[in-house]
Parts: sequence; C-alpha cells; structure tokens
Amino acid sequence: MSRLSTLSDAELVQRCRAGESDAWNELVERYSRYVYAIAVRGFRLSEEDAEDVFQDVFTRAFGRLETLRDDSALRPWLAQLTRRRCLDAISGSGREQAVDDVLADEASADMEEVEEAFAVREAVAGLSEACQDILDRFFAQDQSYRTISDELDIPSGTIASRIARCLGKLRNELEANN
Amino acid sequence: MVARCSRDSWDEAAGVAAQAQAIRDRAVVLAHTDGKVWEDALAALGNAQAEDASNARRDFALEQKLERAAAAPLEIAELGADVAALAALAGERGEGTYRADASAAAALAAGAARAAAHLVQVNLGVRSGDERLARARASQQAADDAAARLLGPTR
Repeated sequence: MSRLSTLSDAELVQRCRAGESDAWNELVERYSRYVYAIAVRGFRLSEEDAEDVFQDVFTRAFGRLETLRDDSALRPWLAQLTRRRCLDAISGSGREQAVDDVLADEASADMEEVEEAFAVREAVAGLSEACQDILDRFFAQDQSYRTISDELDIPSGTIASRIARCLGKLRNELEANN
Repeated sequence: MVARCSRDSWDEAAGVAAQAQAIRDRAVVLAHTDGKVWEDALAALGNAQAEDASNARRDFALEQKLERAAAAPLEIAELGADVAALAALAGERGEGTYRADASAAAALAAGAARAAAHLVQVNLGVRSGDERLARARASQQAADDAAARLLGPTR
C-alpha cells in the first residue's frame, strides 16, 4: 500500500493541484476502474470506445481540477465527466440507441452495481489490513478456510468468526460513509 | 437459514450468512465444472482406448484432462469442510431452535466431503501418497469433526 493510498479524496486533490505527479498517479489508479466500469457496464461501450473515454475523462479532469468546487466530491465529479463523455461517444458513433434510452439505462441495475461495488471498495479500504486481507482471500480469491488458515497461520476453527467480525466492521464503515 | 434466523441473538449471524451465500455460489459453479471436466476426461479416455498405438501427445493431453478432473472434487471436498465448519458454528452459537437444521447441514456437508474425497481416490486412480488425496482426506476429516460437534461421533 503506497503512502498516498491512505489519503482522502480531498487531500489527494489538493496534492494534485500542488503539482505532485505521484498524487495524480494515485488519483488515476484509485478511479480508473470506476470510470471504465461506468463506460462499459453503465453505457455498454465497446472496449475501444471505453479506452477513448477513459483517456479523455482523465485528460479533462487534469485540465479542469481547478473547477472542482468541493474537493471531497471528486467521485461524483468524475462520474459526471464520464457520463457526459460516454453520451458524446454514443451520439458520435451512430449507434441506433437513442440518448434517452441510454439515460434510462444509466439508472439501471448495472449502474447501481458499479456504484455499490465502488462504495464497498472504499469501505474495505477503511478496514484494518488484517480484515482487508482475510475478506479478500475468502470473497475475492475463493480461498477455503483451510488455505486461509495455512497461509496466515491462524487456527482454522476461528476463520469463519474472524470473517464475520470483519464483515460487521465493513457494514459499520459503509453506514458511516453513507 | 440458521444464521439468518439468529440475527437478533447472535451478532456474527449476518456475517456467517454472507459466507454461506458465497460458498453456495461457489459450489454451483464447481458442480458444473466438475461435470464438464469429467466428461472431457472420459471422452479422452475413450479415444485413447480406441487407438492401439502409443501416442505421446495424446497421452500428455489425457493426463492434463485427468489433472483438471482431479482438481474439481478436491475443491468440493474443501467446500464440504467449510460448510460443515459454518454449520457447526451456527449450531453452537445460533438460535437453539434451529440447531437440528444446522446439524443436518453439517451431516450433509460431511457426506459431500467424503464422497468428493472418494472420487479423488477411486475415479482418478491416485496413489495413497498423492498430495491431492491427502488434502481431500484432511478436508473429509475436518468436515466429520465439525459434524461430530453437533451430532456426536459417527463411529
């Protein structure tokens, strides 16, 4: 985990404004999946179009960072930039889907899923490293209790309870963030 | 179900229910994979038996398919151990009203782990020193132990 990864969005934006290139790299790293997911899952863009949107959104964000009024509102601001750029891509592509339909799609379950996944990701980042690790092993890497027990050298009989307690903390984080 | 019904009295219940859901999702995929890789292995075995001459490339491909077929029941055995462990936890700490349901779940999971370990041994013809068989048997034993916590020893 890099030193910058623990910064809040507002702190990161301030460092970007101060011209710290590492801070800009962290901002792109933090939100690259989010922007890409909106383009691909929310707007059903092709990989090629999504790549273009991705490049353009971060180029615009870099150039317009001074116009962001509330530094802590980085995520909704990037989402807005991405949505606008996706609509530009659709209207310029000759795709037959009407823009209104796209706007309706935007409120679809997929879009909500993207937002929810990102909220969970943010909340997970607020947990201890031990909790992050065990949740990642069980839910993302599909590791069995035995494998987790072997690799972390903790009794296998305690794994399920540890995961349950970490999930409880995750729920608290999510509620605090909302 | 036991964890979901125990939310008022057990603060880990929601987290245990979430783990049960994740394991169930994993099991559905694994069951499908198990059937598919075993069909592939059977087809490859049939082709190999139909040909008389030795063929190094064919034998290598067959070995690869059997390796993949070995991996699925091994994972199922590990899932069985995980389900039995969760069921034991839910039976011991959840609502007492549902302890019998947790016991039934643990027994079924132990049975699944035993069946999967048996498949690793018999269907794939692995020897007793094979590391995969040792893992499968350890999972079977872990599942049996977890079930015994609720049901008492089976033997």
